[in-house]
Amino acid sequence: MKALAASVYQWMDERLGLEEALAFARHKTVPVHRHTFWYYWGGISLLFFLIQAFTGILLLVYYRPGPEAYDSVRQITYDINFGWLIRSAHSWAANLMIGAIFIHMFSVYFMKAYRKPREIGWFSGIGLLLLCMVFGFSGYLLPMDELAYFATKVGLEIPQKTPVIGPVIANLMRGGLEVSEFTVQRFFALHVVVLPALFLPLLGLHLWLVQKHGNAWPPAEEVKPAAERKTMPFFPNFLAKDLAMWLITLNVLAVCAALFPWDLGEQADALKAPPPGIHPEWYFMSSFMVIKLFQGAWGQAFAMGLFTLGLVLWTLVPLFDSTRHAGQRGKYATYFGLLVVVILAVTTIWAYYAVAAEIQQHAQGL
Amino acid sequence: MNYPFWDVPHIGSGWVIGLIAIFHVMISHFAVGGGFYLWLAERKALRENRREWLVMLRQHSKFFLVLTGVFGAASGVGIWFAIGLAHPEATSTLIHNFVFGWAIEWVFFMVELTTAAVYYYTWGRIPDRLHLKVGWVYAVASLFTLIIINGILTFMLTPGAAWLSVAGSGQEAAKFWAAFFNPTYWPSLFLRTLVCVSLAGIWALVTCSRLDGERQPALKTELVRWSAKWLLPSFLLLPLVLAWFLWQVPESQRELLKLGISTIGSGAFTQVTRISMLIALTSGTIVLVVYFLAWRSPREFTLSHALAVLLLGLIATASGEYTRETLRKPYVIGQHMYSNGVRKQWVADKYNREGYLMHSPWVSKDPALPPQMATGQAMFRGQCMSCHTRDGYRSMERLLAGRNPEAIQNLLKVLHENKENNPYRAYMPPVVGTADEIAALGAYLAAWSPAFKPPPAKPAK
Repeated sequence: MKALAASVYQWMDERLGLEEALAFARHKTVPVHRHTFWYYWGGISLLFFLIQAFTGILLLVYYRPGPEAYDSVRQITYDINFGWLIRSAHSWAANLMIGAIFIHMFSVYFMKAYRKPREIGWFSGIGLLLLCMVFGFSGYLLPMDELAYFATKVGLEIPQKTPVIGPVIANLMRGGLEVSEFTVQRFFALHVVVLPALFLPLLGLHLWLVQKHGNAWPPAEEVKPAAERKTMPFFPNFLAKDLAMWLITLNVLAVCAALFPWDLGEQADALKAPPPGIHPEWYFMSSFMVIKLFQGAWGQAFAMGLFTLGLVLWTLVPLFDSTRHAGQRGKYATYFGLLVVVILAVTTIWAYYAVAAEIQQHAQGL
Repeated sequence: MNYPFWDVPHIGSGWVIGLIAIFHVMISHFAVGGGFYLWLAERKALRENRREWLVMLRQHSKFFLVLTGVFGAASGVGIWFAIGLAHPEATSTLIHNFVFGWAIEWVFFMVELTTAAVYYYTWGRIPDRLHLKVGWVYAVASLFTLIIINGILTFMLTPGAAWLSVAGSGQEAAKFWAAFFNPTYWPSLFLRTLVCVSLAGIWALVTCSRLDGERQPALKTELVRWSAKWLLPSFLLLPLVLAWFLWQVPESQRELLKLGISTIGSGAFTQVTRISMLIALTSGTIVLVVYFLAWRSPREFTLSHALAVLLLGLIATASGEYTRETLRKPYVIGQHMYSNGVRKQWVADKYNREGYLMHSPWVSKDPALPPQMATGQAMFRGQCMSCHTRDGYRSMERLLAGRNPEAIQNLLKVLHENKENNPYRAYMPPVVGTADEIAALGAYLAAWSPAFKPPPAKPAK
């Protein structure tokens, strides 16, 4: 038996170069220090993406875009064996994935892992996060229930208000003047074809860069002499721990899906008044609040411009704080990071308070 | 004071029992498994002259004494208070049947508490062999507490035909042994023993994680790996014992597990299916997590790792206890007493003909309310409140939203008649009482929403 396994391995090795890959993995090391925990978040994000791909394909078996969208999701949630499980896992993993990516991004940021030679890893990571947010926005509409419909309607009114080009972009996304079955069809194509086609190569690049450059040492560790720095082999030590983290993550997802399965609201009805407190998913709440703060078309354009500028600055940080010899720039980048965290947290919490106040006002008005 | 109506707003009295019980199970099962862990580990250390093990075991026994002797004992008493308040009828029935069983359990419990303290305080003060014997006495006494309480817990799910044949006759105690060794007694005992063994390993990993892997690499490796092995019996045998347990559960109760396969519809009692699936996933993966984190890299095994494993253990235990409790629905004592304390054999003659309130010693009407409202409120408190709250867990306001007074009366009629086609029959007790009492309950429920509220945003299918 052993001889057979060895000959199969040899056959594969001659063709695929397995030994080289294993030698590379054995050679690769992962830094060990008090912040090692943050190295797992990229892997956790990846696991969520794999779950998204797997459950997304299963949902495709029953989901029907267009006029039957709501009915097909109703069947998945309330009729088909374990349909609710696949849908709940997909929806929960989507949110948890974006949460994990945020944690991954901020840990990379504060550990200065975007510095030379990892700039392209940082840029591709930002690209992946933005694509995930578009994944989230397009996927949110697909069940076509009341909440999805009105949240998308409100969401698309934001580009609509952009001077000059806004209406054209909004109509292009909606497939007309209103959110309708044509919008679902477009969002569906975007969600299952266009976005994966953009996401997968970018993910491939990101993962390859991670393999090529390895994990970065945080600045406090980097200054220590090499002899004082501890590492562990990527294979098998880090990989084993990574797998354990994946299993724990899978359990967290299962608990969320079992205790709080993703429900379906009433069917969307364009003629009905929108329910009070319509708002987007949590990861858009910050920008939702900033835009709400400014009135009028130009005011909203200014808010969007402000947000875009912030995003551009955030993305280009590696060019500003490029090496550990950057001096004061490293400090400024850290302050900027802290400022971004505070702004995101404050505006998100504020947005939820504003929504709650709106619902309460509506209830009192009745 | 409105005893025995223990109105716990929003979460309901059932969850008070549940939260204490889940906490208690994590500790009490450790108290049983951990006793054997300490005894066997000390024996191994003495036989193989591993003196450094004894230092760790002494620390572990301190942790063990505080956790089991303080938190375990206090939460056990907490369960007594909670069940007495939430389910006075069922608690009374259990005491009448098993009072001697409990008395014997408490004897073992006293031995357990005493020996746990003696075991910790006599490290290095009495001869090794005698100390080991104290550990052995502790382990056996704690195992006997499980052996006894298991009979009473499983009785509630499957009292067995012999006991049911005398239930309500006043001769129930004559069938003590039949009730004790009921159909699910043995599979449950094996199941709980496996859980005890696993929890012993998991809690020991918490203590082992505190060892310094750089200063004592060999010791940490040995102890982490030896503790990790305690999870293996569960991993190998749990699927078989679970299948045995379910095989002994009546078909009608097993059916409850299937309610949530195809739907998450509100009010359809689907959560048991979902939570029972968690048991399988978490029990299956916890061993792999221990393998990857502890077995493969014992020296690098940290407290965070141990707490992650403990958290998974908590999820598995909580899911298991929740599923076991809900498998009894619609009964609190299988085929004898419904989950709201209504006796099955009294439904037709006593409750429906003579009146529910007349035969419910715990119930009294509020004199401050108009007569019909007072009757309705007493009916609600007596028959609904053991499972439902007004506006929180299994909220009546949510479940009844969109129904006008007539629709509420129709629903009560379906629940009262409890025919084969009653969709709630599998998990809800029938509503009992005279026509006037049921009308009063309907009026009481309808009064919460005079103009009846519009349907909820999320439809109940």
